[in-house]
Amino acid sequence: MTNVLEASKIQKSYGNKFMKQDVLMGIDVSIARGEFISIMGASGSGKTTLLNVLSSIDRVSGGSIKIEGQEMTKQKEKQLAEFRKRHLGFIFQEYNLLDTLTVKENVLLPLSIAKVSKEEATAAFDALADELGIRDIQDKYPNEISGGQKQRTSAARAFVHNPSIIFADEPTGALDSKSASDLLNKLSDLNQTREATIAMVTHDPVAASYSSRVIFIRDGRIYTQLNKGTESRQSFLKDIMKTQGVLGGVHYEH
Amino acid sequence: MSINHMILKNLKKNLKNYYLYVFALIFSVGLYFSFVTLQYDPGVDNMETSAKMTAAIKAASVMLVVIVTVFLVYANSIFIKRRGKEIGLFQLIGMTKGRIFRILTIENLLIYIGSMIIGIFVGFSFSKLIQMVLFKATGIDGVASLNFSSEAFVQTVIVFFAIFGVIMLTNWIFIKAQSILALFRVTSKTEDRIKGITIREIIMGVLGLVLIITGYYVSSKMFDGDFSEMTELLIVMVFILGSVIVGTYLFYKGSIRFVANLLRKRKEGYLNINDVLSLSSIMFRMKSNSLLLTIITTVSALAIALSSLSYISYYSAEKTAKQNIPDHFSLSKEQNATLFEAELKAKGYEFTTKELDILQVTVLTKDILEKQPSSTAFDASEMILPVISDENITDIDVSPKEAVFTGFSKILDTVISFENGGIIQLKGKEDVTAQNYLGMKQDYILPYTYSDGGLPTVVVDQTTFAALQKDRDEEIQDEPLTYIGFNLQNDAKLPEATDLFQSLAFEDDQGKNSQYEAFVQQKENMGLIMFIVGFLGLTFLITSGCILYFKQMNEGEEERPNYTVLRKLGFTQTDLSRGIRGKQLVNFGIPLVVGLLHGYFAVRSGWFFFGTELYTPMLMVMGIYTLLYSIFGGLSVVYYKKVIREAL
Repeated sequence: MTNVLEASKIQKSYGNKFMKQDVLMGIDVSIARGEFISIMGASGSGKTTLLNVLSSIDRVSGGSIKIEGQEMTKQKEKQLAEFRKRHLGFIFQEYNLLDTLTVKENVLLPLSIAKVSKEEATAAFDALADELGIRDIQDKYPNEISGGQKQRTSAARAFVHNPSIIFADEPTGALDSKSASDLLNKLSDLNQTREATIAMVTHDPVAASYSSRVIFIRDGRIYTQLNKGTESRQSFLKDIMKTQGVLGGVHYEH
Repeated sequence: MSINHMILKNLKKNLKNYYLYVFALIFSVGLYFSFVTLQYDPGVDNMETSAKMTAAIKAASVMLVVIVTVFLVYANSIFIKRRGKEIGLFQLIGMTKGRIFRILTIENLLIYIGSMIIGIFVGFSFSKLIQMVLFKATGIDGVASLNFSSEAFVQTVIVFFAIFGVIMLTNWIFIKAQSILALFRVTSKTEDRIKGITIREIIMGVLGLVLIITGYYVSSKMFDGDFSEMTELLIVMVFILGSVIVGTYLFYKGSIRFVANLLRKRKEGYLNINDVLSLSSIMFRMKSNSLLLTIITTVSALAIALSSLSYISYYSAEKTAKQNIPDHFSLSKEQNATLFEAELKAKGYEFTTKELDILQVTVLTKDILEKQPSSTAFDASEMILPVISDENITDIDVSPKEAVFTGFSKILDTVISFENGGIIQLKGKEDVTAQNYLGMKQDYILPYTYSDGGLPTVVVDQTTFAALQKDRDEEIQDEPLTYIGFNLQNDAKLPEATDLFQSLAFEDDQGKNSQYEAFVQQKENMGLIMFIVGFLGLTFLITSGCILYFKQMNEGEEERPNYTVLRKLGFTQTDLSRGIRGKQLVNFGIPLVVGLLHGYFAVRSGWFFFGTELYTPMLMVMGIYTLLYSIFGGLSVVYYKKVIREAL
């Protein structure tokens, strides 16, 4: 299996020379094609920063990131935008749908940037609409639908242009448990059927248990990794929770 | 951090955001000050027309105060809403409302006094320029001087402090009415919730378009002769105004959304970046701003129409003078003419004269009368018209049985119209002669004083004229019987010759007219009106442009999260900037185009009352208006670019 994403020794720090705050301190990650990984960690561990850096929204201070063999860290803003529109998909905690567009228009947005023909676009939408159960609401505006529906719309938008990799930042963070499990089932289905690569940041062990591998981050470093392998989701969840127990809590350095 | 420190910090931060507000404030103060200076200026005071001029400037300065007050209060309300969060925070940390109000007042006062000092200084330095413009426009020979008028200073300070009081009052009401919670939510609830289009909106949309088009249609028919009575005309005017204004409101409320929705449906959900960015403005925001936009559009249209009309009459002053008084000078008494001729010769002017005999004859036009106002006392089927012989007129030659009309004023033409041919009857004391009427000519031969201010002159053959002269009705010969016109060979010498003409002691002469004098008079009057309308229009333009800009600033801030999403999805800054340009074209373009259209139809319906030239002056006014307006559009694009750059 080839790697879609390969990152090595990523560093990220904020502030200036005198007041430097290191957030990421040399992280190596690689994600294989068709993999569904989770990144877990406590608040402030740098997991969201890691996702932002991997997805080219934020710049690294050091290290290299390759997606589909292309080095991302040296590219210009414009090339990055170009890359994002063709190869990356995003799902955010606050859905980040445009209020002024209908569900269908929101989903088709990435295709319009990529200048796909209208017929292809409609076909792509139709293929996803049934799978994600958003066909009935396709002409509704975001504030007329529920949170779960919004997040499924957001997911459809991430999948519609068949990106190389999809980044999801706490996708279930604002959902009730029913909508959350519903969404995660759909994500893992799409992961199977479309062989889509997904990288998800979450602090929820249940959400993480849907993925095939979990990376734990602590204080800007990788703490450990868990592979699901052939385990059932339930036992994988137990493993995750156990690891989280060890990882979590406040560690006093003094 | 002390309160004073905080005030200073706030001030520094806000100045950057509100530079346009400060600019508009300086501009208003400056303009008002120079206007008032003009009113107290000894240079203006000494002019012959000073009473009229001072009164006009006074009226204009009152209008100016109204525009500026509305603008400043509105702009302030936008800004205080933007600072809702900050105010909420102050309350949260335990400041009383009174204290917050004091902080805001001091802050505003500093900005206000600063702007006022600069404004008065700017106004002072520009007052000479404005005075020069006034002199230039009215054609008055005055020397503009730079005078600092303390009366004007005091008046400006008083007026602007009164406005400041009003602003503070609105602030106080705003702060008083808010609770901590509401303050935190203030920006998020200002816009309507976004929903699909409803049947009611579709009906409103269609109705809006229908009303506007009906208004335009009726306005173009207004002076075509379908409505010829005064009361009828008045009703029609009120109808047009009402229909267009209500139509404009519904247009913003529904039509734009309705049309945009139709276009959007056709795309079947597949929108490009320009669509995405413009949509929110077109489909949602214009609706919630419809009242503001209607006011801006209507007043813009008014400003455009008034400036165009006054410029039209200014621009065509010369032509109008030529129509009203066809020859450079005219006299009706032989001895006056001899005197003038001798003087002209003595001063070495080269000139030509022409002499016409005129008869006032009762003309029966029943056969050729197409329509006339029915209720007025004036009866167009039996008019007393001046009659002249074709002998002395080069372009017109008729046979003894024929007659033509010439020199009918365009204004009267709208209420009385004639067929192109038929029989007219000329009634002498004894006999009535029937003449074959051949139609209307465009030449103006006699001054308007001979023909009751614009009725046509009848041209007949010499033999007919001789017969009429024998049989004339003495009772109706209330105008001079002769007309002596003088034309200088060299137009450039006209002003001097006019001075000469004025200085001569003529015997009382009903037919005494000077074309150049009429021209100067017209130019002076219209110049003054144009000056005032122009400046008021400019003030309104700048203030309304600022308001639209502030609105866009808010909109930009509110849409910042959207730009973040779009940039994450992979739209570049260039993509978004292009979309923003499209969006601003719509945001500023629609009110502009609607305003221009309204103005155009208003001007077109009645321009001929004001002058002889329509397109050149009107397009010039519209061009200037569009240009200035686009500056605000451009500024807002710059602002949006900044928001987009910071969005990721």
